[in-house]
Amino acid sequence: MKRLLAILLLLIPALASAAPLQALAATDVSSLLQPPAHGERIIALWSLDCAYCESNLEALATLQRAHPKSIELITVTTDDIRAQRPAIEARLRKMKMDTYPARAYAEASPERLNFLLDPNWGGETPRVLVIRADGSRSGISGALTPAQLQRIR
Amino acid sequence: MRHLLAILLSLLSPLALAHDMEHMAKAPELGASAAFDSHGRLWVVDAVGGHVRLRHSDDDGRSLSAPMPVNAQPERIYAEGENRPKLAFGPHDEIYVSWSQPRARPWTGFVRFARSLDGGAHFSAPITVHHDRAEITHRFDALAVDGKGRVVVAWIDKRDLLAAEAAKKPYLGAAVYYSWSDDGGATFVPERKLVDQSCECCRIALATTPQGDVAAFFRNIYGDNIRDHAYAVLTTQGKTATATRATFSEWHIAGCPHHGPGLAIGADGTRHAVWYEAKTQPTIWYGQLDPGHVPHHRLAIATAGASHADVAVHGHDVWVAWNQVSASGYSLVLRHSTDGGAHFDPARNIAHSTAAVGSPQLLQKNGHVFVAWNTADGFRLIATEATP
Repeated sequence: MKRLLAILLLLIPALASAAPLQALAATDVSSLLQPPAHGERIIALWSLDCAYCESNLEALATLQRAHPKSIELITVTTDDIRAQRPAIEARLRKMKMDTYPARAYAEASPERLNFLLDPNWGGETPRVLVIRADGSRSGISGALTPAQLQRIR
Repeated sequence: MRHLLAILLSLLSPLALAHDMEHMAKAPELGASAAFDSHGRLWVVDAVGGHVRLRHSDDDGRSLSAPMPVNAQPERIYAEGENRPKLAFGPHDEIYVSWSQPRARPWTGFVRFARSLDGGAHFSAPITVHHDRAEITHRFDALAVDGKGRVVVAWIDKRDLLAAEAAKKPYLGAAVYYSWSDDGGATFVPERKLVDQSCECCRIALATTPQGDVAAFFRNIYGDNIRDHAYAVLTTQGKTATATRATFSEWHIAGCPHHGPGLAIGADGTRHAVWYEAKTQPTIWYGQLDPGHVPHHRLAIATAGASHADVAVHGHDVWVAWNQVSASGYSLVLRHSTDGGAHFDPARNIAHSTAAVGSPQLLQKNGHVFVAWNTADGFRLIATEATP
């Protein structure tokens, strides 16, 4: 019993430090796309079915840790939070991405939110949106190359 | 102590339960398939609560029958995005249903199949189509019946990717495998590999050739992650099937397009196809496949906000339908050609939904064309006015 309790207590910090997964609805998109006060906001779009997304998120997390004051990193999965919340949360923990603010689509199909986030994006993942303090935006589809990562910052 | 333990366990239990509940959502997901049988009765399959369910309609979708569970025992079912339960009929209106079943680990699945020989009153216990039982991807099933009544199933399979990784050899994407049943879906022959290194996350389109063979059109990988499409006849005789490059858009993406193509083959053998690429901007193309060469009569059917097109042909009439998204929701859009796909009429909105929608499916009944459109508000069958 004591051993079980000890194991359970060890798990508590992992739960506490995780940023709670929040829904992203159509009405939330405009505030997510607001330019940051300074530096860059990186919106890292991923999906449960995308085998390329994990390494992309890792690369973006590494970049953010190198520039913690200027880069704000937010992960957004295109999977429906209402149907997939446990799976999304489990994957974020497994990818060690659960310390970053995380959103998940609150729609049964992703196309409308895809379009609102970026009308020039057809839903392919991974997708990265970079929003700069000057209001400029850029989008990159597919796993980021080292050169593309360099250009973000 | 016990009290504390109970609290801690209650905190953790959602995590433990989470896994089993994934893909067993109580509300139906949007992945559905519809088809008319030889008597003009409409049938629809979708998934809810761990069951593929079958409904039918004798009034072109205005009312649907009570659902019949296809799998008596609940199991996890992929029914969103590019995965949806599939439905096809045998020569005597046997009802064949396939789906992909998620396994415990991410990106794993088994292709499942069940049949009804009594008009949907009873279904056989589901079987796993592939003989390989590794806990890997066998997903994105596609189902068709050939001219001889064989039940053909194709899917995306990662066994060769894993073998390559174990041997430390490079391998992009996944393989396409297929199998068929010579006994009306009672058993399936050992699967054959169609091609290595194809896209791992896009639906496979199947259509029947005038000779009665089943042909596949799917997103393949060329060179360094150029994700163009290939065409292949899924041979069931001695010859090995070969996939030939059939689109040349040169879209490079090290990622998942989540966007498979559509295929319809005319009685004259013309291969009408629709596909998606985003090399410069998101675009849905129509073209007539000439494997090994650039498709004929290529036309950019729709651009930003357009997705998941389907194509149908009847004589000289060709239809393309797709979802067009805007801030206000989804429009179902149709373009029609009366000259075999050489020219298309302007796009026409034929339905709208503020709720989320699944991929549209063009259906034909006695020369009349409908679009099956599954929305979060319910299944809809939209008639087009076209009467060829």
